[in-house]
Amino acid sequence: MFKFKYKGAELIVAFVLSLGMIWPAYATSDAKAVDKAPVKTKGSSVDVFDIATEQDKKSTADHSKFKELQVDFKDGPAVTKACLACHTEASKQLHKTKHWNWDYINADTKQHLGKKNVINNFCTSVPSNYKFCTACHIGYGWEDENFDFTAEEKVDCLVCHDTTASYKKLPGLAGHPNYKTMEWPPHSGKFRAPTDLKRIAQNVGKTSRATCGACHFRGGGGDAVKHGDLDSTLTNPSRYLDVHMDAKGLDFSCAKCHTSDSHEVAGSRYQPTAVDDKGTFIRGSKDERNAATCVACHGNVPHDGEYEKMNSHTDKLACQTCHIPAYARGNKHTKMSWDWSTLGEMDENGKPKKIFGSEGKVLYDSKKGDFTYDRYVIPEYQWFNGEVEFTLADTKFDPSQVLKINSFKGNADDGKSRIWPTKVFRGKQMYDKGNNTLVVTSLSDDKETALWKNFDINKAVEYGMKYAGRDFSGQVGWIETEMSWPITHMVAPKEDVVACHQCHTENGRLAGIDGIYMPGANNTPLLDKLGFALALLTLIGVLIHGAIRYFMHKRGG
Amino acid sequence: MMKAVVGFITGIVFVGLVGWNMADVMMLREVASPYSVEETAARIQRNIQSLSANGWTLSGLRNPAKAVANSGSNVPPVLLIEACSTKYSGPILKDDATRILSILMPCTITVYKKDDGKTYIGLMNAGLMGKMFGVGDIMAKVAKDQETFVTFDSSKPAPPLIKVRPGGGGAGGKDADGC
Repeated sequence: MFKFKYKGAELIVAFVLSLGMIWPAYATSDAKAVDKAPVKTKGSSVDVFDIATEQDKKSTADHSKFKELQVDFKDGPAVTKACLACHTEASKQLHKTKHWNWDYINADTKQHLGKKNVINNFCTSVPSNYKFCTACHIGYGWEDENFDFTAEEKVDCLVCHDTTASYKKLPGLAGHPNYKTMEWPPHSGKFRAPTDLKRIAQNVGKTSRATCGACHFRGGGGDAVKHGDLDSTLTNPSRYLDVHMDAKGLDFSCAKCHTSDSHEVAGSRYQPTAVDDKGTFIRGSKDERNAATCVACHGNVPHDGEYEKMNSHTDKLACQTCHIPAYARGNKHTKMSWDWSTLGEMDENGKPKKIFGSEGKVLYDSKKGDFTYDRYVIPEYQWFNGEVEFTLADTKFDPSQVLKINSFKGNADDGKSRIWPTKVFRGKQMYDKGNNTLVVTSLSDDKETALWKNFDINKAVEYGMKYAGRDFSGQVGWIETEMSWPITHMVAPKEDVVACHQCHTENGRLAGIDGIYMPGANNTPLLDKLGFALALLTLIGVLIHGAIRYFMHKRGG
Repeated sequence: MMKAVVGFITGIVFVGLVGWNMADVMMLREVASPYSVEETAARIQRNIQSLSANGWTLSGLRNPAKAVANSGSNVPPVLLIEACSTKYSGPILKDDATRILSILMPCTITVYKKDDGKTYIGLMNAGLMGKMFGVGDIMAKVAKDQETFVTFDSSKPAPPLIKVRPGGGGAGGKDADGC
């Protein structure tokens, strides 16, 4: 047997071997330290809202006792007439709003926007598809361009004021709910009973997350599809998902931030408020600015105690950048891309097909092409000063480049921009190859030209363009597009904000954002060289000093 | 003599330090996935099922992130895929000396998302663990199968995620076989 030359060597070898056995155990049990997110320790300005929600639910009127509402209504407009008997000015107010007109002129850019005018990279355009799209219009009967926007009885009161959660406007009915038993979803074998208008009318109340969410959670044609930070999980959210809407906590309705005046609701995707540096303001005051900003309640110096340093970030970062670490956090997958160019592929029997992904979402639909999805999505960050420039129906573009459906303006130097978290939705969609413009496409019309009936994109675009009164070259091409959406909901608890190291590191979250210097993320080559040179000189000095002392000692000794 | 011992001890310390720093890399392996968390997990499940000849069955699918969310906090998506093969677990469980290794059963593969937005797969280094605990032969086979679990065929469509409830001990649960 091998014998060790030195006494005690066996012991050392045994020690080394045992060390080798136990170090992995130490390594695996010693989990890497988790960076603690900043926790605000002192009182917060939001405490005042603790009392608000229960008060919101109380009303001085019991609508079930009103004789005007004790009627078997034949349709929605009949309910509205009953509402107007008391709320005489309601429809006149609503007729002036974006929710009614789907029409908006940006006073700064002069662009003519609004849902009925803009072409996006989801279902693309409203004209020629009214009956489907207007399931999310606050009116009844908008089925073509001849809709009467002055008719008071066509305003749909119930879609915003229902408290029964049973009112549902179905696509294809031009903004009406079903008044007869109807198979829904189509070909599903499931049937939806006629809408009980009487019961719903007798139970109207203030708007809620459910009523706003009926449309806004389902933007883009389905739950969680469009925005990323708005989906049905916010109907009854936990604290982790949104500290303001937490159903067991502050329980904010949408209207708590999106205040309204004469039915015009604060906040806009067309003209967002990217920077609010005016501090808090009292609700009900004559302040004309957007009430739906963080600063409107929290002020512009919101951090205190040991996190006061965070206040020095607010001249560069939007609040949302730190306080919304990811979107689609409610376990719903949001759509991330849509490629229309692959539509029309049929199954082996020549029938339209759908292919589902691992999470159960449709990855391919013969009617629509390919999709991708994601959840808990890290936002893409960009400078934003509130100005959004849209590619409109008549805007000419270079088809060799990725087309921005909307461009967020802003930069580090303009003094009015902040770095914002955004969802960038990517698509490949049809365009007029001859004119280099976006196109109106007939998707869901009753006519045989509709894409979802005949799967012929050329006919669908030709009809859509003719319907919209637009010039069409006759050639359909495919263009890659991007559309940005500011992320502003799903505000995380303070413990879960974006931690310092997630940005202050190489290739951190803000990598690629120009015009900022971030310790840990950026370096200055000259400064680095100077530092290394100083360190090297110090080392050389120490060595020389040590050497001199050593030789002097030898000589002296 | 003294110099030799000092040199030896220095060597030990050096090896120890290197080992300490390399431990996580050696014991655990992380590989990036081109798919989403759900699709990655589903593809791994399919790969596990494809090795049923080696005794592999799915034992469970856990979502620890959901538990954290229920407690009021946020973590990125994490899915734990549990699988077991009685062909490999049997010999380990039979022997008094190695039965304690049941603490590592069932075999768990984790799929998670990181702050770069990408999906990753985490695996134990079964080969090295086996050598350390004296079951090197068995665990070498497990390590080989593990490679198959995380080798994806992109030409195949995304399979549905199998929501297997974790097995109930030795007999397995209603939905799952266990070890």
